[in-house]
Amino acid sequence: MVKGGIEGGKYRLLSNEEIKMIHETSLKILQQTGIKSENEEILSHFSKIGAEVDLGKRIIKFSPALVEDAINKASSKILLCGREEKNDLTLEGKKVYCGTGGAALNVLDLETGERRESRLKDIADIAKLVDALDNIHFYLRPVVAQDISPEFLDVNKYYAALSNTSKHVMGSAYTVESALKVISIAEEIAGGKEKLRERPIISFITSFMKSPLQLADPTVLVLMKIAEEGIPVALSTAPMAGSTSPVTLAGTLAQVNAEQLCGMVLVQSINPGTPVIYGAIPTIADMQTMNFLDGAIELGILAAGAAQLAQYYNFPHYAWGGLTDSKIPDIQAGYEKGMNLVMAALAGANYIHNAAGMLESTTTVAYEQYVIDNEIIGMAMRALQGIEVNEDTLAFKVINKVGPGGNYLAETHTVQHMRSELFFPKVSDRSLREEWVSKGSKDARERAKEIAKNILATHKPLSIPSEVDRKIKSSIKGLKNI
Amino acid sequence: MVDLNNVSESLQRGDAEKVEELVRGALGENLLPKDILENGLIKGMDIIGAKFKKNEVYVPEVLIAARAMHAGMSILRPKLAETGVKNIGTVAVGTVKGDLHDIGKNLVIMMLEGAGFEVIDLGIDVPVDKFVEAVTKYKLNVLGMSALLTTTMIQMQEVIKAISDAGLRDKVKIMIGGAPITQNYADQIGADGYSPDAASAVDKAKTFIA
Ligand code: B12
Repeated sequence: MVKGGIEGGKYRLLSNEEIKMIHETSLKILQQTGIKSENEEILSHFSKIGAEVDLGKRIIKFSPALVEDAINKASSKILLCGREEKNDLTLEGKKVYCGTGGAALNVLDLETGERRESRLKDIADIAKLVDALDNIHFYLRPVVAQDISPEFLDVNKYYAALSNTSKHVMGSAYTVESALKVISIAEEIAGGKEKLRERPIISFITSFMKSPLQLADPTVLVLMKIAEEGIPVALSTAPMAGSTSPVTLAGTLAQVNAEQLCGMVLVQSINPGTPVIYGAIPTIADMQTMNFLDGAIELGILAAGAAQLAQYYNFPHYAWGGLTDSKIPDIQAGYEKGMNLVMAALAGANYIHNAAGMLESTTTVAYEQYVIDNEIIGMAMRALQGIEVNEDTLAFKVINKVGPGGNYLAETHTVQHMRSELFFPKVSDRSLREEWVSKGSKDARERAKEIAKNILATHKPLSIPSEVDRKIKSSIKGLKNI
Repeated sequence: MVDLNNVSESLQRGDAEKVEELVRGALGENLLPKDILENGLIKGMDIIGAKFKKNEVYVPEVLIAARAMHAGMSILRPKLAETGVKNIGTVAVGTVKGDLHDIGKNLVIMMLEGAGFEVIDLGIDVPVDKFVEAVTKYKLNVLGMSALLTTTMIQMQEVIKAISDAGLRDKVKIMIGGAPITQNYADQIGADGYSPDAASAVDKAKTFIA
């Protein structure tokens, strides 16, 4: 197991000069092109805080000073907690954490292998699985519970997640009312209003922008409420180069950064210093179909670029990596995930979501994929650790002792360092062919399925105390027992 | 003399200005509007369409060609009407109530336009009544609905019901699409067709008017 929070950031593909150029282009976009909203309340809010609002065209323009002010107010360090302290995350600088993500519509059933609609029970079961997978550091609600009516979706998904993992839980809320209900559930578990702000065991993600440069008004209203409540929130914007942003990667970064800075201005104007996470997650569109692409190498490149921008402003970064367009956990899933995850991680992106379980351009998840991705994340985290150089690791003493022609097998130095220096995979097979054959010649996917089944049959996550559970179920309408 | 092959080639390059100029020239030389359409504009679109299917050109290239087609059509359409040639069909497409996703819908619209349909964009977050109203208002052959969310796809059923209640169900073909939509769902709610992407949406629309 490799703990989260290791420093990345050694991989830098933009020079300081280039970062500045992107920043300046973003300011120009905000000042000259502006951002659109169709909502009176939002337009009047922006007008009140000093943005230039054209009510006829419904365009909001921002002076560089207004933007700089928001940048200065934003917090550079955000604590996201688990129900157990060992699962806490501190988002800052170049620390890297990886977790799940998405609102996928389908699941590859662990028993039948068939694709079927996702249900509330999947949110619970995947939470339990993730709870036991050490390298997955947080739990972002992975699927839509298609068996729950829209009205009760938000409260159910959060509660199913919170009840089955003590890792940090993130999700979205479709309406202001359901966001407030979710917050009240979390307050009950955390032990009160203040306690939840001190140790936020939940957070929200808001897709507040409809790229290019147009606010997704209903979601913005949810975002404004969450900011007011002081609960951590990630601003997410996912333009696709060639469709909803320029096909050039630099132009896409400039646009997505402008969109994020608009979000920062909004949130800081409502509640200065509220924990808000910069959420630039650009990708590219498929030129053949205009589909949203997840497995593209450009996604990794853009994630690394966005991480550098976040670091330039000192914003914690909600990023992504470890994604694929493949429909099943196959070779394509392996190489696409491996490549784009390692790029985001090496760049030092803080909160890499969608890094586990996800397939098919964020529309399908698979249980065994969580197990496989747990391994990919472990390897990426090990890569981040790099090479530790000190007198002990330089090992002159033991080299001198073993001498020419000897070996290091039974040295204390080996025993002392092997667990920290080397990564021990759980899915990869490293055995000799005879042994592999005698165990049934299984491929990685089969082996991962067995691990997943075993965890689901045996793992017991920290449960929510029964009196708290009772209280929540009696005060929140529509909560299902799973 | 305007060579209609030039019209076709300019269209394939996406040179809208040149297409307009050539169509105007051809009309000036008294070429038949029907010939300009078939041996110039449509011929060019067909070649682009075939190349697209073979992965030789990409969506943006198809779209700029479609835009050039549009430019040519804007000049040709009045003349076609005068000579009694009808447009191939009228389609309206919108994203259902509560849903803001429009990239897929827009792509379907652009592809339909490229194929020569008259297309009305109903926009996003379209309420049930507006879909119903469009059927008679634009004398639609086909109504298209897009939904990307499980929470909004149920709206499609409402629209179909409202169209039936208004006694218009046999006046219009209904096709639907979007990430959570399946053929199964289309059958279940009584839509006439479903397509997983824009290219097949055009093929489907063509079968409806044939
Ligand atoms: C881009 C995107 C957005 C953008 C939309 C920008 C825009 N201008 O449309 C933004 C950021 C605004 C957005 C917002 C949200 N989104 Co969204 N989004 C996507 C994403 C990544 C891609 C969609 C897309 O544009 N694809 C490219 C186009 C070309 O493909 P397409 O839309 O499928 O269309 C093709 C076909 O479906 C078909 N088609 C489409 N319409 C029609 C119509 C007809 C008549 C026919 C015949 C065919 C047809 O042809 C099209 C062209 O080939 C999808 C995931 C995915 N991979 O699909 C999620 C996704 C649809 N979104 C999702 C979610 C959850 C949301 C939000 C609720 C997020 C939030 N937490 O706030 C909001 C909802 C806002 C709202 N009220 O609508 C979920 C849906 C889950 C669910 N509950 O159903 C998805 C699946 C992602 C995920 N796994 O989390 N989203």
